[in-house]
Amino acid sequence: MAARSLRAHLLRMLLPPIAALLLLGALVAYYPSIEPATAAYDQGLVDIGVSLGAYIRPVAQGFRLELPSAVDQVLRRDSYDSVYYQVLGPQGERIAGDDGLPGPASDNGDAIITYDTTYKDQNVRAIALRAKCGDASCRVVVAETTVKRKRLARDILFSTLLPEIMIAFATLLIVWFGVKRGLAPLARLSDEIKARSPGDLRPIDAAGTPEEAAPLVSALNGLLGEVAQSSRNQQRFLANAAHQLRTPLAGLQAHTELALAKPLPDPVRAELQQVHEATTRTARLANQLLALARAEPGARSNAAQVNLRSLAEGEADTWVHQALARDVDLGFELEAAQVQGDAFLLREALANLVHNAIEYSHRGARVTVRTGRRGAQAFVEVEDDGPGIPPAERERVLERFYRVPGTTGTGSGLGLAIVREIAAGHGGSIVITEGGTAASEPKGCRVAITFPHG
Amino acid sequence: MRLLIVEDDAPLASGLRRILEAEGHAVDVTSRGEQAVLAASQERFDLVILDIGLPQMDGFEVLRRLRTGSADKNGPMPVLVLTARDAVEDRVHGLDLGADDYMVKPFAMPELTARVRALLRRSQAHGGPRITHGPLALDTVARRAFLRNEPLELAAREWAVLEVLLGKVEKIVSKEAIIQAVAGWGDDLSPNAIEVYVSRLRSKLEPAGIKIRTVRGFGYMLEEFKGN
Repeated sequence: MAARSLRAHLLRMLLPPIAALLLLGALVAYYPSIEPATAAYDQGLVDIGVSLGAYIRPVAQGFRLELPSAVDQVLRRDSYDSVYYQVLGPQGERIAGDDGLPGPASDNGDAIITYDTTYKDQNVRAIALRAKCGDASCRVVVAETTVKRKRLARDILFSTLLPEIMIAFATLLIVWFGVKRGLAPLARLSDEIKARSPGDLRPIDAAGTPEEAAPLVSALNGLLGEVAQSSRNQQRFLANAAHQLRTPLAGLQAHTELALAKPLPDPVRAELQQVHEATTRTARLANQLLALARAEPGARSNAAQVNLRSLAEGEADTWVHQALARDVDLGFELEAAQVQGDAFLLREALANLVHNAIEYSHRGARVTVRTGRRGAQAFVEVEDDGPGIPPAERERVLERFYRVPGTTGTGSGLGLAIVREIAAGHGGSIVITEGGTAASEPKGCRVAITFPHG
Repeated sequence: MRLLIVEDDAPLASGLRRILEAEGHAVDVTSRGEQAVLAASQERFDLVILDIGLPQMDGFEVLRRLRTGSADKNGPMPVLVLTARDAVEDRVHGLDLGADDYMVKPFAMPELTARVRALLRRSQAHGGPRITHGPLALDTVARRAFLRNEPLELAAREWAVLEVLLGKVEKIVSKEAIIQAVAGWGDDLSPNAIEVYVSRLRSKLEPAGIKIRTVRGFGYMLEEFKGN
């Protein structure tokens, strides 16, 4: 499910009621103002009708309208509308005015009748009234087209709708930006969480977050606390496991070495040699598994400024003795290389590279450890002149428990996986290439880890 | 030499005892920190091998009491710390408390015996004016060297280089460290000059089976004497 925008959701919820309110407001404003306005125009028609009634004169055969043409012009004059009238005698005969102007639907007495009708294909507003003609009464009908009435209605409608539409827009804008402003602390919160490294399990600072987001922050902090606690438990377990595993392994190693130092029948010596090698391998495997677990994201990290050069110098003694045991010439080309990271893990990564190079090299091989800087990057690399790793295998050797087919030696296939894991945990990367300089024949293997310079 | 092993894992403790006894040392073993502190206060050991993960009083506490108690009245007893924990703080903590060296379990026995030898040699070198290495003997007071009991002629700087290497048998000594130790005599020394002195030393010592190994790009290491 795609995440829903709170703003869009709020606007969608607000839009229909605002539109309905707008309409209702317009109606409520429109009708009370249109009635008196049209009533004023109707009154104008009635005035014309009354004036016309005053010009009815009795003649021999009945009545006639003696309307001077100047008066007729004045009565009919209107800037917008055409005005029509008709005067009918007591018997309904037309005395004067426009022929065919429709009368009111019902004719009941002396009241003034107001009505809408059509004349000459136009909508007209008409009034009908009675005028005295002698003893009887004549009917006067006055009608006018509805141009100014429509204009008035339109004007009223606009003058009420426009402010309402502006208010509605203002409301929506306020909601849009208000929500954005209101959610800004949440955005800050998410930025802070995004910027964190996977291992950073400190509680989130609740200061500056709105009251409404406080439960979210406190729930997150609760979760972070639990994760940190479980990570601490895991680390404690690892430390205990390390202790519980390593001490008996050290005992086992001591006793097999003691036994091997004694005169033994050859078959027994061969068996014991196997036991001894298996013990050494198990010890190394235990160390590697613990290192791998420690390198997991989320594990507690001891970040500090680490100089890869000092690290290599500190371990040189141990490595040289390992190399001598296998008749390997281990050399160093060390320059300062600052890295921000966990000294234990970085040392483990280096030790794994060196161990691999020594382990998989022939007797009399040359292995060289280099540290230094290349541009903005610190690097450590270990080069040997051994059999090398075929290009097709170079990616796979970084996988856990993978070993190049046909490899001798006692490796677990974990070493380079650990190195990769540790490199990645420090924002670095691992590259395997052929050894040798550009000038010389490529041979052996060069494994390099590059880190952002710290 | 008198050695004290403080280790609560019985198989490991007995293995260590037998290996070190085979090297010709007199070895006492205890599994408890309190007993170790008591024993060290009553007699002097040439080296204490101390496990950190002890029941009740742990190795750090034992180390603290050794260093602050009356045990060290004749100079600090060398302490080699054994730890099964790999946390960096543990190492640093141990060294801060005055441990002379540390080893992370499990370890190969040759490495342990080499470190024990180095620590014992160091504590002796502090004590006596005479340093020996196989057929080689240096009288540091008279500044005279003997090889197979014959006087050995050494130039002043050759002597200085050899003294540095003898102080750290089986340990790599960087060229910089050698230069610092030798260049107290006024003028600058280039790494090339050190190479010259080492090669002269080699031609004098190798016939007697004493080997100085070159560690490429780093320095030199005087190997353990294994006979001719």
